[in-house]
Amino acid sequence: MPVMVNGPDEARLRRAFLEEAEEIVQRLSESLAHMEESADRELVNEVFRLTHSLKSESALMGYQSLSRLAHAMEDVLGKVRSGSLSLGREALDLLTAGADRSAVMMADISRTGTEDGADVEDLVGSLAVLVGKESAPGAPAGPAAARTLASARGEPAFDAVELRRIEEARDRGESLVRLTVRVLPDEPMKFARAFLVFSNLEQVVNVIRAVPPMDGLPTRDEEYAETVFYLTAPPGDELLEGASRVDQIESTAVERIGFPGAAAGVDASVAAEGAGEGAPTEPQARPAEKSSIRVDTRKLDELWSFVAELVIHKAHISRLCDGVARGMEAAMIHEELLESADSLEKLSSGMQQAMRDTRMIPISIIFSKFPRLVRDLSRKLGKPVELALEGEDTEIDRSLVESLSDPLTHIIRNSVDHGLEFPEERVRLGKPEKGRITVSARRQGGTIVIELADDGRGLDTERIRRKGMDMGVPNASAMTEAQVRELVFLPGFSTKDVVTDVSGRGVGMDVVATRVRTDLRGDVELASEPGRGTRVILRLPLTLTIVNSLLLADQGQLYAVPLSDLDSTAKLPAADISLEDGAEVAPWMGEVIRVHSMSGLLGGDRPSRDEYFAVVLRHGDGRAFLIVDELMEEREIVIKPVDDLVNPLRLFSGVSILEDGRLVFILDTSFVRRDNF
Amino acid sequence: MGAKILIADDLSFMRMIQREILTERGYTIVGEATDGLDAVNKFQALNPDLVLLDITMPNMNGLEAMRKIFTINPKARVIMCSALGQQSLIVEAIRAGVKDFIVKPFKPERILSAIDKALQA
Repeated sequence: MPVMVNGPDEARLRRAFLEEAEEIVQRLSESLAHMEESADRELVNEVFRLTHSLKSESALMGYQSLSRLAHAMEDVLGKVRSGSLSLGREALDLLTAGADRSAVMMADISRTGTEDGADVEDLVGSLAVLVGKESAPGAPAGPAAARTLASARGEPAFDAVELRRIEEARDRGESLVRLTVRVLPDEPMKFARAFLVFSNLEQVVNVIRAVPPMDGLPTRDEEYAETVFYLTAPPGDELLEGASRVDQIESTAVERIGFPGAAAGVDASVAAEGAGEGAPTEPQARPAEKSSIRVDTRKLDELWSFVAELVIHKAHISRLCDGVARGMEAAMIHEELLESADSLEKLSSGMQQAMRDTRMIPISIIFSKFPRLVRDLSRKLGKPVELALEGEDTEIDRSLVESLSDPLTHIIRNSVDHGLEFPEERVRLGKPEKGRITVSARRQGGTIVIELADDGRGLDTERIRRKGMDMGVPNASAMTEAQVRELVFLPGFSTKDVVTDVSGRGVGMDVVATRVRTDLRGDVELASEPGRGTRVILRLPLTLTIVNSLLLADQGQLYAVPLSDLDSTAKLPAADISLEDGAEVAPWMGEVIRVHSMSGLLGGDRPSRDEYFAVVLRHGDGRAFLIVDELMEEREIVIKPVDDLVNPLRLFSGVSILEDGRLVFILDTSFVRRDNF
Repeated sequence: MGAKILIADDLSFMRMIQREILTERGYTIVGEATDGLDAVNKFQALNPDLVLLDITMPNMNGLEAMRKIFTINPKARVIMCSALGQQSLIVEAIRAGVKDFIVKPFKPERILSAIDKALQA
């Protein structure tokens, strides 16, 4: 049977599959379109490889019809490759129809989770006629799929994630090993014994899968009398022997087994050939967030328990209303109401937390695309790269996933392209030949910190400074290192000449900065040590929808500044304000920063007073005063997106509606940074 | 041989059995602790090659003591002693890095072979 998964893993796996398969089908369609013009050998190989991947991956997920269709296409292309079939109009039309049908089927799978009802027999039949053999209706999806699904040697059907890890290990020159561990019959804790071996193994090799699995305490300890570990390990058995050298083990058996890819009947030369060519595959833009989501039932249970409690409180309050009607004593009502309000507050914050949890999803959904991205880039550029991913379990808000994927991809591409040196240079510098990129995620309080580090050449701040001076950035010559690094985020720095000029990065970092700072209300900073590497650090709010903010009022309208964008509040005497280069400035903490007023931002004049209420806004390193009529309270607000039509100045990142119906505009403080330069 | 071993168990009877088995094999018992806190203090003071740590002890249980010991020396060799039914605690201890575990009641060979293997590793 296909991969056995349940619960949230299934959705995650399916999503990973769809993402990959959608990309394959898209490239398939593109390549077939090119074939219309000219079908050289390389192109045929590419298309062959794509159909082959589609076949294997869909078979692994149990999508038999899709796999069957891809297999029929692969057969035709196999004949074309070997020269026994010429690629005529009919073949091209059928293959294109096959690619189109696959795309439709995947859209169905994406919507319903199954391919039920898909009929591919017409196409499969026509394709089979082309290769000169009639396909038996209802036959399984060919020998390859059959072998992967139910191996004669009893190997499990690895899922997409496992396959990827195996593939990466193969690229590192490791082999796939089946380690069978038998525990002595008198061991009273067989699971713990097997777990001890597992834990030792995990420290030296990559365990891909354990049968039975190692997660959670088993109900039947006896099942662990024999445990099979599928793992990838470098040549030599010493590591494995060392790890399984614990007490109470009856026997261990080490077998090196073939890679599942090889078992699937791929023509190895084609696989190798195909993989080396073509543009590095950038992960495609993710399909728009689905209107239905899968939520862990435990999270829903938790929410439900809050609802149950809510019902009790409702009853309590109804009773109090009755009490009022019956002339209950005011002091008593007051006391009970206070108690109720207190409980309701706890409840609502609990519900908010639980609700937010349902929106959370592990960041591995983004990270899982990086090994492939790095591998492709590494091959294309001829730079061997080792990629380490850390903190993949870190949960982020679903709404962040889409916007975060591109900037991270961008940064990684920069790292491989510009950050890492070529192997010869690295060797000359006494560095390991293989460059290293580490991508890590962790939660720090209410913030998600994502760090992308490479051990490449680092930023050449002097060259960036010179570039800045050339571009006419004021004060570039006197800037601190940190300020110079910040120049990389300027729009002008993404020009072609800089890419080749600045040793380091520069390509489109302004886009990254805008996305992270403005769209995601986070921050990004660069750290670098010449010759040692560069780190890009992203800090993102845990969620985009509820934000702690300070409410401000100006000319009767309410505004809010997220606390993360607020440095402090201040009283600003009018006498402190002066003019510098036509802009109003005032001293603050030993610096001179810009002064804005809310009315000024909206095109009016600053009201005339002796002393103003102001907040000090911050955006990255930038600070600026903002004068308002009134500073109000601090509170959590729920942010709703704002239409650009009512926000022509892009001053606001959203709106919120208070419980009394008043509208609050949420300030987008990115103008503060723009002022700096 | 003669490796230095610290025994931690709140039952004096249990400590006695362990002491006898181990001394007979030529190990040196550098100390005996009667609760978790005592075990941590003695570990720090005596720097033994290996600790035999009971899970159920008063005044800081074995798991907590294990964690403290690992913060003092992340490479410490610790063997947990547990009763049947404490499998989840053992798994937790393995995650934290203990070298092996022994389930009570145990035969002398068990404790010896576990210690021998842990000291070899």
